[in-house]
Amino acid sequence: MTDETQIVAASPPDTKGEVRAIAFGIAGWLVPGLGHALQKMWGRAITFFAVVGVLVFVGAGMRGNLFNSDGGDAFAALGYVADLGTGSLYLLARFIEVGGPDVSHAYGDYGTRFLAAAGVLNLLAALHAYEAARGRKA
Amino acid sequence: MKFHLSHLQAMLLFALMISIAFGFLSRRRPLERVKYIAWSLLLFLLFGIGIGWAMYPFSH
Repeated sequence: MTDETQIVAASPPDTKGEVRAIAFGIAGWLVPGLGHALQKMWGRAITFFAVVGVLVFVGAGMRGNLFNSDGGDAFAALGYVADLGTGSLYLLARFIEVGGPDVSHAYGDYGTRFLAAAGVLNLLAALHAYEAARGRKA
Repeated sequence: MKFHLSHLQAMLLFALMISIAFGFLSRRRPLERVKYIAWSLLLFLLFGIGIGWAMYPFSH
């Protein structure tokens, strides 16, 4: 938690630093919070892992629609991108949702939103980890 | 595994999770984070309940 007060450097990172920042961003996407954990931002790491995890767990438990690559229209494609944002938790959601989605009830529809929100939030967190590694965000 | 959350429960959980994430994303100091999370949560709930009541006449 103490190391979260780092940063705010003006000089752009070198190639090695840029590669490192990209790696942190990808790590943060694959496992929510990992991008921050690798930079010893423990508070943010635990929070993002917990928040994204809860949203995916509850969203899948509510039998929300977990989109796949053959959705057929633009909205399904957007939903797929949003769901993929959860990284490895996308597979966890598939595992939890063995009965498939059920959006005939309101809670199934809420589950769809939970899953999409988890993905977008994780992409935001991964972007933050990338920016923090580049020294552009605290 | 199934969760059957009511409208209010789902909204509360969603608002809380998003507020916490935004608080940690945008603020560094713990006190600032707590203030941001509380304020964001309050606004989420106010707007959610407000929009719900605004739609009420159309459902009857």
